[in-house]
Order: sequence, then structure tokens, then C-alpha cells
Amino acid sequence: MTDMKHTDMEEINIATDVLVLGGGLTGIKAASEIAGSGYKVILVEKDAELGSQKGPESLIGLEEEYKGLQDLEDKIKTDSNVQILTHASLVSAAGVTGDFTARLSKGEEVIEHNVGAIVVATDFAAAALNEKYGLSPADNVLTQSRMDELLASEADKQKLANKTIAFLVGLGQEGNPLVLERVLRSVLALQEIDGCDVYIYTGDLKVASNGLERMYKESREKGAVYFKLTEKPEIADNGKTISFFDPVARRDIEISPDLIVVEEEMRADDLNEELAEILRINVGPLGFLQKDNVHFFPVRSNREGIFVAGSTREISGLPSAWTDVENIAVEVRDLLGDGKKSVAKNKAVVDEDKCVICLTCYRCCPHGAIYWGDKKAIISPLACQGCGICASECPMDAIQIGGFRDEDMTEEVKSGVASGNGTPRILAFCCQNSAFEAGEMADIFKMQLPEGLRMIKVPCAGKIDLDYILNAFVAGADGVMVMACHPGNCKSDKGNTFAQWRVNDAYRMLEEAGLEKDRLCFVGTASNMGSGFSSIVVNMEKRINELGLSPLK
Amino acid sequence: MSTKNKKVMVVGGGIAGLTAAWELSRFNINVELIEKTPFLGGYAIRYCCKATDECRQCGACTVEAMLKNVVDEPKIKVHLATEVEKINNNGRISVNLKKSSYQPDLATEGIVRGYSKNNTPLHVIVDKKKCEENPDAIPEGAVELDAMGFSGKLDVDAVILASGFQPFDAEQKGTYGYKKFPNVVTGMDLERIIRENVTVVRPSDGKTAQKIAFIQCVGSRDERLGNLWCSQVCCPYALRMAEIIKHKNADAEISVFYMDIQNVGKDYAGFYEKCKMDFRFVRNIPVDVFPMENDSLSMRYMNEEDGLCINEEFDLVVLSVGIMPGPDNSNLSDIFDVGLNEDGFFAGVDKLNSSSTLKDGVFLAGTVAGPKNIAASMAHAGQAASEVIKHLGVS
Repeated sequence: MTDMKHTDMEEINIATDVLVLGGGLTGIKAASEIAGSGYKVILVEKDAELGSQKGPESLIGLEEEYKGLQDLEDKIKTDSNVQILTHASLVSAAGVTGDFTARLSKGEEVIEHNVGAIVVATDFAAAALNEKYGLSPADNVLTQSRMDELLASEADKQKLANKTIAFLVGLGQEGNPLVLERVLRSVLALQEIDGCDVYIYTGDLKVASNGLERMYKESREKGAVYFKLTEKPEIADNGKTISFFDPVARRDIEISPDLIVVEEEMRADDLNEELAEILRINVGPLGFLQKDNVHFFPVRSNREGIFVAGSTREISGLPSAWTDVENIAVEVRDLLGDGKKSVAKNKAVVDEDKCVICLTCYRCCPHGAIYWGDKKAIISPLACQGCGICASECPMDAIQIGGFRDEDMTEEVKSGVASGNGTPRILAFCCQNSAFEAGEMADIFKMQLPEGLRMIKVPCAGKIDLDYILNAFVAGADGVMVMACHPGNCKSDKGNTFAQWRVNDAYRMLEEAGLEKDRLCFVGTASNMGSGFSSIVVNMEKRINELGLSPLK
Repeated sequence: MSTKNKKVMVVGGGIAGLTAAWELSRFNINVELIEKTPFLGGYAIRYCCKATDECRQCGACTVEAMLKNVVDEPKIKVHLATEVEKINNNGRISVNLKKSSYQPDLATEGIVRGYSKNNTPLHVIVDKKKCEENPDAIPEGAVELDAMGFSGKLDVDAVILASGFQPFDAEQKGTYGYKKFPNVVTGMDLERIIRENVTVVRPSDGKTAQKIAFIQCVGSRDERLGNLWCSQVCCPYALRMAEIIKHKNADAEISVFYMDIQNVGKDYAGFYEKCKMDFRFVRNIPVDVFPMENDSLSMRYMNEEDGLCINEEFDLVVLSVGIMPGPDNSNLSDIFDVGLNEDGFFAGVDKLNSSSTLKDGVFLAGTVAGPKNIAASMAHAGQAASEVIKHLGVS
């Protein structure tokens, strides 16, 4: 095995200022923590004011903490390490981590700033779901936000005395604990007002957050009535009556509430899409800026040096946003250090003589680590994750990955198929993050493995060239396995997708060459699948035994 | 201030403790990692991968990766089979450690096996006598539990409590017959069954389970037990494991008995739609389980449509046990003088900072402070590390 260690190091200077996008409470906290670590922060807010102007929905249940939040805002306003730009937005962000050039517009002015890291801290938006329940805005129909406002004012609160109030939640959407918490807080607050009767029509109660089950119980003990339904109740006269059939009581239950409160959906910030494009980061489910990939949790984006916090990345209340920010503070400190970084020279090397600046690598790099100069593509050693997708996609073979150079891989393939003793030779190209670990586990735990199996470690399945696969057959392999992470679990986001495409190409070529395509397989595995690995490779050996040894031998 | 002479103790080598230790080591902080069992990785390292054709984001694989980080990191010193005896505050925190009194309960053959190649020592001899009966079965390099553990005093600048949770003891719900009927298993058992057998088999006869019931909220959200919390992980693990079973055996008939299904993953609505096509959901928690002649189980529950009682037969019943406060919480609470909340988990300073405590220099990471999944435990450990770094004045 080639030496994986990057011994040839160099020291580079990097920018250590940090750009924080979004001046809501999460952004304020991020600015405060990062400035507290000794870095200069530019805090950018699109509106005229910072955090305190944000809606009450992100502050539910945090009355005790509210004072501290205001202090935090006051503190960063006077912190010499924090530059606040309101009415401002990001126009472009060129470069890579350690050397981003951010262009910010503020009115007519465009400000350029060199930063080492970027934190995205946008807010979520709350959207009323009246239409889902067939309700039109009216005096008796309130959104959850409106109810929060009423309860925040002593005068408005008293107007709710002696009213019958119905909540609709979890029937117009799947919902989440944050949506439910808003309802529970309102219910408990209403129960403090004289003569308030509260009914809650609910789908699944999303109590999977600390304290919610207790609040649910408390509200029931104080007289709130919960109707747990699987579909929406009948709503007539724009919310004047609500009814449903109770299967256990075997009768219709009808209520005529004075007010009906409709749940809201938490949506990704409208800014997200544009920011994702400028920053070249992935958009995940529902428009939040992080894919559902465990390797990015909690706060990483697909690009080194760009972090996502709180409701930027998922529906999140302030407590989990705070957890995110503390994690970002650690990441930023580790990434930027004192502005001097030691990086490996041979992580990914571009051959100037071969590179024609076709930009294939720029387009396929999932980490946004590649840019270009006059004569060749340039791969940032700080941003590069060493996955090797670029090296395998480069039409000129101009890129070599340290520890996994093409010539090393060719050698490994050769030695892998050598010394056969009649048992099928199976070469398994194994991603080091998953299959290779699983294979080693199977080996150490003495699980069954074919005698002729040879594992070849690759940094990511995206590094498995079509050439490697075909050469393995030419060299006499009886079977070739491409073992990647499961879809959605690739550390480099789409290395496994590239590998799958190449295997599909290889299938076609094998057929053209008259070799059975069953000799090749693509499988997803995980690092903890020791026994899974064993059963997969044993099945492969069975398949090869049925086919017989390779005719190319 | 230099980090050179700073030292932090992390109590607990599960996913939160491993993550906290590793995060600190990135800043040249020395870490003493204390684990009362003979292995690192806690419960999380025993979970199975829950991918079907695609990753389901359970996070089990990230535990292996973090374990590897920790054992490869020279700044982290690991003390296995060791527990905290008492502490003194003398400017720094002086911690007395002793050999753990922990006795593994899995030691059927006198030997306990760790779950990862890096999980050193891999084999621990718990019962010497049993092993002497069959000395050939003792793996190379096996270590005797008696020879493990560290006694002595360590001075540290901060402590992170990451001693985790305990799964609900399903025997407390006697009417489900756990440990009485072989084919009633817990979610933890099912993790192991899937991990070791790849497919889901019945413990009684090793045959593929065809008709399977999952019972949710076993031990959680239970007023009679006084457990007024949602464990937050059981719906995700049950639905993900049910999806694997269905993926491997399309004919499997799976029923999920529940109160309220909790969200799974970031794109929950889509996942839930698929689940609803693949399984039957019954919004009722069954009353009791009876054995049948063929080791199958008859389960009694109330029919949603008419409110009448039904008996239904299943091959395998899975109890989705929840997250309970760790068995050492009250002891650790006394030793470190940090309060527990009304549910018995450790209390953070406030809702926003759940990893700092009212006690100077003592921090919390993971399920010690309340139910969390793997990803949330890791994030909480990162938060604890950040608070510790600030506490130490590292720059």
C-alpha cells in the first residue's frame, strides 16, 4: 500500500476575518462567539435593524432568556471586532476558504472584503395554512403568529376572556415540535385568562422536544381538550362550527368556537436559494441549506469554510441554533487558527502540461475547491477534501491525488489479481469511509470472506476510474466490485453517484466485449456493516463461481 | 493562554464523550476519557446501519468514525473499566478514580466482545472459570476484566459529564412478556439482530419473521411510570428498522402501534408517506401479549374504528424502548454537585445553554442532559467542547 501520509507540507497564510450572513438572533450569537474567539466579524443584515425586529415565533418559551438576548445584541453593537452592515446583502463570493472575496452591497455602495470563513444564519419564515383548512381570513380566524401577538400584549389578552378557542394543528401539514410548542405555549397562556375554554384538533402531536410532553399534560390537567384525529374535522361557516365523528363515542362532536387559530408552516428563508447560488452550496430538502447527509451534521456545508446555522439548515428553535453556533465557533477556530495553515502539497496536483483549463474539474468538484489561473486549474489544498472525483473526471488525466496516484492504483490492481490459486479473483474497490472499514471489521471479527478477495482502498468511490475497472478485468480479475457509501451518505456528496455512472458505462463496455456483466457489481455499504460486507462479497463469489473463471485469464 | 497544560476529563465513552474528547484534542487540550465498561462506543456503537437502497441518516456509521478518531489521537488518554469515586476542588478539579464495579450482562460465554476493530481491547474475559472450561475459545489478545481499570487521582481543569442514558427496562412492562417470551424483543435487541444476521430472524427458531409488530412509547410518555418525556429516537429507529425489514423481505407484514408518530429526518413528510404504504399504522398502544403454541404471540389492543378489543397474532413483537436517565446520574450529581431536572436528567444553566451547568468547570454532553439521537448528541458534545474552550480561556 502506498504511503497515505502527506509528508510534503507547506505553510500558507489565510484570511481570518469571518462573514456572518443574517442579523437575526442566530447571526448575532454567531458574530458574538466568533468575535469572542479573537476574529474580526462582518455581520450582514438585509433589513434596517438587527435581531430584535424579528418575529416572536423564534422566541417562544424563552421569556427568561430574552433579557440575555437583548444584552447580547447590545454587546455586539459596541464590539470593536464586529462590523455591522444593515440594509446590506451579499452580491458575490469568489475564491475558497481562507481566501474568499465577498462583495457586499449597501445602498449604492459595494464593499469588498477578504474573509477566511462564511457563516450563513438566515431565519425561517412562518406561512399561514388557512387554505389547507378552507378558512379565509376573518375576525374569528387567527394565525398562530397573530395569537402570539395578542398574548404578548396585556390589553389584548384581556379581550380573550370568556372565549372558546379552537386550535388546528398537525392536520394541514405533518408539523414538527416547534409548531406544537407554539400551540402549547398559547394554550397554557390562555388558561391563565378567565373563562377561556380551549380545544385542540390535532394530528400526530410532535412532542419530540424537551419539555413538550410535560406542557401537554399540564394543559390537559388545566382543562384543555385534545381531539386527536387522523383527518381534518368538518369546518363550517368559516370556522363558526367544527365537528367530527368520534368512533369510540359513536357520535358527532360539534363545537362552536369564538376564535379559531390556524397552525403555520415554518419555511426556509426566501434568501436561501440566492445565497446557495452565490456561495455554491447545496440546497437540501424543503429549501434549507444543508443536504440530509450525516457527514455534514451539524453545521457543515459541502464547501470547507462555509457553515450553516440554525434555521438556515433545518427547522430549528433557538436552543438548537445555539448548539449550532457553538459548533461553528469550534470549527472556525480550528479552521482559521492564527492565520497560518500547514497544508499538504500533494493532496491534489494539477499537471500544467496536461491541463487545458476545460473546467471539468471546476464543475464536478463537490467541495467547490477548484478555481483557475492563467495556465491551469488550481486546487486549493485547504478546501480540497482529497476525494479524487476531479482526477477521475479529468479528460486529460491531468490531476493526481496524493497517496492514490493512477500509477499506484494500477500497481495495486496488478498485484491484486496476481497469485491466483484457482479460487475466483475478486477485486473490490472500497471507499475508505465505508466499505473498507466494513471489510476490515469483517476480517478482524473473522467473518466469512472469499479467499480470492482483494480490497483496494480508495479515498472515495468517486476516485474509481472507469479505467481501473476495465484494467482489472484485462489483468485477469474474475469479478470486480465497486463498493461505495449508500446514496445520501457520501462524504463528498456525489462520489458514489459518479461511481455508479462509471459502473453503468462499464456494464455497456463489458457487454460489447462479450464479458458477462454479472462479473461487475456496484453496492452501497456502511462502515459498521461488518456482517453485511461479508454476505455481499460471499454472494459475489457464488455468482462468479456460477459464471466460472474469467475467459480473459 | 496556552492549552499545553490544560487537561479536561470526559466521563463516558459513548458517542457524546468520544465527540467531546476529540473536539477538545483538536485544540491541543489533553483529555482523560473515563469509561466504566470495558469498551468505548456506548450504546450507539451497537446500532445497525439502517440504509435500504439509500442512507436513512441514522448516524450509526459516524460512531465508528469518531471512535477511530479518538483511539488514533495521542492527546486522549482512555481509561476503560474505570469510574469516578469523588472529587475535590483545589483550584483545579481533583478527581479520584477507581476500578469500575460494572459487570457486563452479555457474558454468556464468559467473554464480552467489543463492537469495532478499534474497540480495544476487543475481547474481555468476564468469567474466568467459564473460559477455563474451553480455553480454545479464548481469542488471542483477550484481556481479563479484573486486570482492567485505573485507580488513582487526576487533576483536571474541567469535566464534561457524558455518561449517557439507559434504555428502558422492558421487564417493567410485565404484560408485554419481555424475557418471558423469546419473540418479544426490544429495539436494542433488534439493532443487534439486524447487525449480526443481516436479516430479521425470530430468536426462538432463527426463522425469518413474517408478521411483525412494533409497539411505540415503551417506557416513554408514560404517566403511570412518571416518565413524562418523549424519547425522540424511538419513532425514527423503529420506522427505519421496519423499512429495512420490508426492504429485505417485501412480503413482511409490519404493524406499528403508536400514540403520535414523531418526525424522522429532514424530509420527513416524504419518508412517512413511504412508510404508510409499506406498513399498517394503528393509533393504539396494546394492552398485553400472550404466548401461543408455536412461539408466536397474540396481542390484545383496541380497534380504532369501533373501540372494541381485538386479538391478533404476530411472529415477532418489537418493543420500542425509550431513553431513560443514566443509572449513575444521581451518584454523579452528588459527586459533582450538579442538579438533575424533574425527569432525572442533568440540568443545564438555561434553555439556550444546555451544556453548561451551575457548577463552575462542569459541563454536559449528550443524553446525560436529556433524550437525543446520535447527530444531536454529537452536536451537543461540540457545544460542550466550545463552552469548555471558553472556560479554559484558550485562544
